[in-house]
Amino acid sequence: MSSGMKTPVSVLRLPRGPEPNSRGFDPTSPRFIALCPTTLPSSSSSSGSADEEEQRLRAELRERFLRTLLLMTGKRVRFDMHEHVRVHARFGASDIDVLNLQVCDLETPLGVQREALLRSQDVIACSFEV
Amino acid sequence: MMVCVLSSFRSPASMAMRQTPLTCSGHTRPVVDLAFSGITPYGYFLISACKDGKPMLRQGDTGDWIGTFLGHKGAVWGATLNKEATKAATAAADFTAKVWDAVTGDEVLTLAHKHIVKSVNFTEDSTCLLTGGNDKVLRIYDLGKPEAEPLEIAGHTSAIKKALWCNNDQQILSAADDRTVRLWDKNTKEAVKTLAFDASVSSMEYIPDGEILVITYGRTIAFYNANSLDLIKAVDAPASIHSASLHPEKDFFVAGGDDFKLYKYDYTTKEEMESYKGHFGPIHCVRFSPDGELYASGSEDGTLRLWQTAVGKTYGLWKCVLPGEFT
Repeated sequence: MSSGMKTPVSVLRLPRGPEPNSRGFDPTSPRFIALCPTTLPSSSSSSGSADEEEQRLRAELRERFLRTLLLMTGKRVRFDMHEHVRVHARFGASDIDVLNLQVCDLETPLGVQREALLRSQDVIACSFEV
Repeated sequence: MMVCVLSSFRSPASMAMRQTPLTCSGHTRPVVDLAFSGITPYGYFLISACKDGKPMLRQGDTGDWIGTFLGHKGAVWGATLNKEATKAATAAADFTAKVWDAVTGDEVLTLAHKHIVKSVNFTEDSTCLLTGGNDKVLRIYDLGKPEAEPLEIAGHTSAIKKALWCNNDQQILSAADDRTVRLWDKNTKEAVKTLAFDASVSSMEYIPDGEILVITYGRTIAFYNANSLDLIKAVDAPASIHSASLHPEKDFFVAGGDDFKLYKYDYTTKEEMESYKGHFGPIHCVRFSPDGELYASGSEDGTLRLWQTAVGKTYGLWKCVLPGEFT
């Protein structure tokens, strides 16, 4: 190697990129374990039992929501969306963060879309027959 | 993996090494702002603001992705971390600024504004958040009383690009499209000093240790005393500069802009020391890490790149390979 040539600096590996199906913030990381559960003080009630009650209600609502999603699977659902859009489709599944809804046979003014993804943030409400 | 092999023994310091930038991918649109936290017991962290609306948190010394803050419905124009990297704040085109728990990634607060928000900045103790944006008004939110109305400071005649706390959080520095940089007193809400420029100010950095303000406009990187707003020195680069950062020890500064290159200058002599190619688009933001060992750049090409200050040194993911060593 001649004395004038520059060698590139070696690297151990490349920086890790985002995981495709998760928003990250690994709860098993040392920082998470050390600084959680409450990293920021809550500005509302200081009494522990009020927090516990709220937690319990939130957990209940979350469970109901998840069970509704399960019940919706395979059913024909009406989606009310922004800009007065109303479409019908067969509901398949939602992704882990409920950002996208996978549907089949989506009826649109342009025809029926065999497979489609609806953005959750565009959906105002969904209704279906139980 | 690259290995350097030399026919004769040489110390690393005398080997001419070529900079290997580390590319952090993940964003799908231009990266428009980035900020480092302070040094915490878990290292230091980096947040990036992106037009894809999904700001990301990364480990500062490696660029490893930690998480994505999900919730904004528009391009994120500004992002910041508090010193301890426990809180994050973002400014977006969806007319909101948001405060996040930087450990869990959860959204903690949404602060509605009347127009696109461009800049967010925490006080040293993280109790207050300063915002600025296209409605030309600076706002100070007490994070302990999020329901309360923010303190408002009006005066700029165009959209605010950047707003920063300075001088022990008693004053505020703001740069706007009206081609002025103004120094405000937080309590009187009056403009104490105004700097006027011929061109739009593209970026601003405040260095508390030494009270230095770094401002870029056109092809110029200028350094001001943050108290008096007196000019210390100015340097012209070969191309239009969008952002610059001064090394914590004030021996170098780096700058990047329209020609996709990163320039490194000696702060004392103002001489250009090096220039680095690597990005595939204009550079929008560049910042030194809190320990000065690396600097990060964000570009129109959607990537963040990490660059070594001392090329060839073992740090983070960079490894100094001595003659005779094989990996």
